Amino acid sequence: MSEIEPFVGIDLGTTNSVVATVIDGVPRVIANRIGQVLTPSVVAVSKNGKKLVGNIAKRQAITNPDSTVFAAKRLIGRRWGSKEVEDARRVLPYQLVPGPEGHDVRVVLGGRTFAIPEVSAMVLAELKADAEAFFGRRVTKAVVTVPAYFNDGQRQATKDAGRIAGFEVLRIINEPTSAALAYGFGKQMEKKVVVFDLGGGTFDVSVLDIGKSVYDVVAVGGDTYLGGEDFDRRIMDWLSFSFAKENQGIDLRQDTMALQRLRDSAEKAKIELSSVQSASIHLPFLAAAGEGKAALHLAKQLTREKLEELTKDLVDRCIQVTERTLRDAGIRPSQVGEVLLVGGMTRMPRVQQAVKQFFSRDPSRGVHPEEVVALGAAIQAHALLYPQKDREVLLLDVTPQNLGIMVVGGYFATIIPKNTTVPTSQTHVFTTVQDQQTSVRIAVLQGESEKAVENELLGEFILDGIRPAKRGEVEIEVAFDISADGIVGVSARDVDTGQRQSITVTATSGLTENELRRILDENLDELLERKQSGEFERLRERAQIMIGEIESLVPQVREALTRSHFGKDALQKAEGVVARARAAIASQDLQQMATNDEQLDRTVQLFKGLAGGAPIPGGEA
Amino acid sequence: MPVDRFQGFVFNPADLSEDVDLDPERRREILFVHGHLADWNHWQLLGLPWNAPADRAREAYREKVKVFHPDRYPGRRLGSYRARLEQVFRRLTEARDALSNDATRAAYAKQSAPPEEFARAEARRLDEAERAAERRARLARTNPLVARAGRVHDLLDRGRKALAEGKFAQAVNDLSTALAMDPALADAKALLQEARKRALADKAKDYWDKAHAAEAVNNLELALEMATAAAAADPSNPRYPVFAARMALRRGSLEDARGHAEAALRAAPTYGPAHEVLGEALAEQGDKAGARRELERALELDPGLESARERLKRLRWSFLG
Repeated sequence: MSEIEPFVGIDLGTTNSVVATVIDGVPRVIANRIGQVLTPSVVAVSKNGKKLVGNIAKRQAITNPDSTVFAAKRLIGRRWGSKEVEDARRVLPYQLVPGPEGHDVRVVLGGRTFAIPEVSAMVLAELKADAEAFFGRRVTKAVVTVPAYFNDGQRQATKDAGRIAGFEVLRIINEPTSAALAYGFGKQMEKKVVVFDLGGGTFDVSVLDIGKSVYDVVAVGGDTYLGGEDFDRRIMDWLSFSFAKENQGIDLRQDTMALQRLRDSAEKAKIELSSVQSASIHLPFLAAAGEGKAALHLAKQLTREKLEELTKDLVDRCIQVTERTLRDAGIRPSQVGEVLLVGGMTRMPRVQQAVKQFFSRDPSRGVHPEEVVALGAAIQAHALLYPQKDREVLLLDVTPQNLGIMVVGGYFATIIPKNTTVPTSQTHVFTTVQDQQTSVRIAVLQGESEKAVENELLGEFILDGIRPAKRGEVEIEVAFDISADGIVGVSARDVDTGQRQSITVTATSGLTENELRRILDENLDELLERKQSGEFERLRERAQIMIGEIESLVPQVREALTRSHFGKDALQKAEGVVARARAAIASQDLQQMATNDEQLDRTVQLFKGLAGGAPIPGGEA
Repeated sequence: MPVDRFQGFVFNPADLSEDVDLDPERRREILFVHGHLADWNHWQLLGLPWNAPADRAREAYREKVKVFHPDRYPGRRLGSYRARLEQVFRRLTEARDALSNDATRAAYAKQSAPPEEFARAEARRLDEAERAAERRARLARTNPLVARAGRVHDLLDRGRKALAEGKFAQAVNDLSTALAMDPALADAKALLQEARKRALADKAKDYWDKAHAAEAVNNLELALEMATAAAAADPSNPRYPVFAARMALRRGSLEDARGHAEAALRAAPTYGPAHEVLGEALAEQGDKAGARRELERALELDPGLESARERLKRLRWSFLG
């Protein structure tokens, strides 16, 4: 097994990320370099301009809230001006700005703007480094998971993040599918499984029909804006409201540092309440009371009952989505053979109760609901790289939302309906509506509303170079396809001539290809720089050792060398080499160092030989 | 000699020799199925008999996708076979989607049925309709609620039938029973009204016949009684009171005769014979002017009434005489 190229499966979560692999047929999680399985999906730029990722970034979040990015997943692939982004701007302590084209979202960190995929890429790169430390060699192949309900833009952006981090992303797979894969791995299963995945920021439900190692997804549903962070926010609101009531209306939410402390304690209390009935929250010196007064403290007791009351509607929403998804799948709760709980939020007793009540059966959960998604991704990566005869696995996933185009009147015409097994494709014939029309603009959307504007705009495709003719005479067949990653592709051809039409994509929510290339180049430069500095260190060390050797040998060989004309010349040359090497070290000229290295080496060999009594060679030194 | 799995399919040598990482047998399998995409139905594509059940379709799909899903060939050079695999996979998925759902499966089965299957299905359908009727009847016997609904339904049916056959009394009986059990039956109300009217007319005609029979044997008393009953049963027909008036006249009960004649005129003011009989009654009572007026009116309305003309002549003669 050791000769195969290492690969990983990555669960890129809203709050935490996990990396896993398969070794000798056994899936296993890779701990990070500080020995933890969960790496916080947090990225920061410290005051002195250093990039921080993971635990170290999370730890300094309180003191550096406006340069610490968490929950980037909630923004990835989102459109500037969308409701989700507007909501995020209100509650997030860090600054968001629109991208250069005005479509995507950028975050300002340490005076520089980063695209969201760049931020996610930092987390991925950290996990990559952890995996490389584990394997002791380079790791490039990865399967990355996304919520099943992610649309094309979000998937594309996640794939871009993988590329920026230096991965070859084999496949983007859905988190619930991945969890089911890990759960069913090595078992002989023939049943319908529902995966209920309530994570840090997203909620997903998938219905799978599993049999003969084929994981056939029947329907998916979800809410990409419903997760543990919403539960935390309810606690934070409750804390800050009661604090304001007790302290003459001081609004803690205006203070980013206090807000960060509230966030941390809310999350902690929520986790505690999964195992105990009551949790105390103590935040001393939380706010200043004003000139000359003592600082204000916060001390509250939160009971499980109160938490359930604060978050009742969130749990209800999960059940509503589940109900709808089952209806889409055409099955009743009683026909479900297994209910699988995934994601940290499913540790909450109230969530488990609600699921149990809905399905009238006890749900199953692994020991580590946070790890199964990454394990499933690793299994899929393994299956995609090294198909096994005995342990074959085939995932058949579906597209989560209707894919369609905008038609006259601002309506949405579905071309590929949701819950269609991917990969899939569908063609649609467009015709010109004006005489001599040479271009057609097609708005491609994804969503479930009849009105075009209420759906997510994936992009505008401009078909140009259409041959001029009377209106309605030219028919252009546009093929929409959805890959196994759930990513949408569009191509077009003239029905009569069969000629392919060029398509220009505008107004996407992601990075443009040029921008992506620029970021990749920058990263490469950085990498090169880092590599060069390593190489330089190595050469400098070698050169200094060799210079030392030469200088110590010179007294011994000087006499022998000065005896011949050739020897004098060799001595002169050796002095020249040493001088040049010193100069190169001083100017940090890597190129020159590499040239000098060889000459220094030869000089050392020559001098060592002479010192050992060898005759003076006939050639140049 | 092994059985030819590919049923004499003609392979293109160029496809078989393409430089890809697939063994010859797998190539043939892919080319064979791809070559049949256009002419195979969903069941043929999945390798199933026509109308195989939904779970067989799902099962067959799982087996087939293991061969035809592009993910099964990672890292291999597939050349033109990649597109073929994808096309087959899409068709397989289409077939599974259509056949694993009961409603779409039934529709597809009908549409793709071989002719002999179609005939068999039709026979089965008729058989089933019969059995369904039987089932309903059995249910009606056992379940009181259903039985009641069934009974109302039966009564309504019977009433309608009786009405059509002219058994109006029977119809009235059935329909009023049905309405008593379910007063909300709107069409039953209208039917009942109609049946009642027809039943009474029927009864009146019956009395009428009896009245004539009585008159024939000169039983004037019975004839009068029957004609009176007929007039009471169907007050809209003036012939009944006219006949009653005549019988009364012949029996000499002039007041009765006049009463019946006036009743006939109330039912039909323009009915000649009613005026005639009233005129006769008035004449008998001695009101000659009244009698002449009525008889003239009768002739005016119905110039063919020779008896009235005679009577009028006689009146004039007695006046002259």
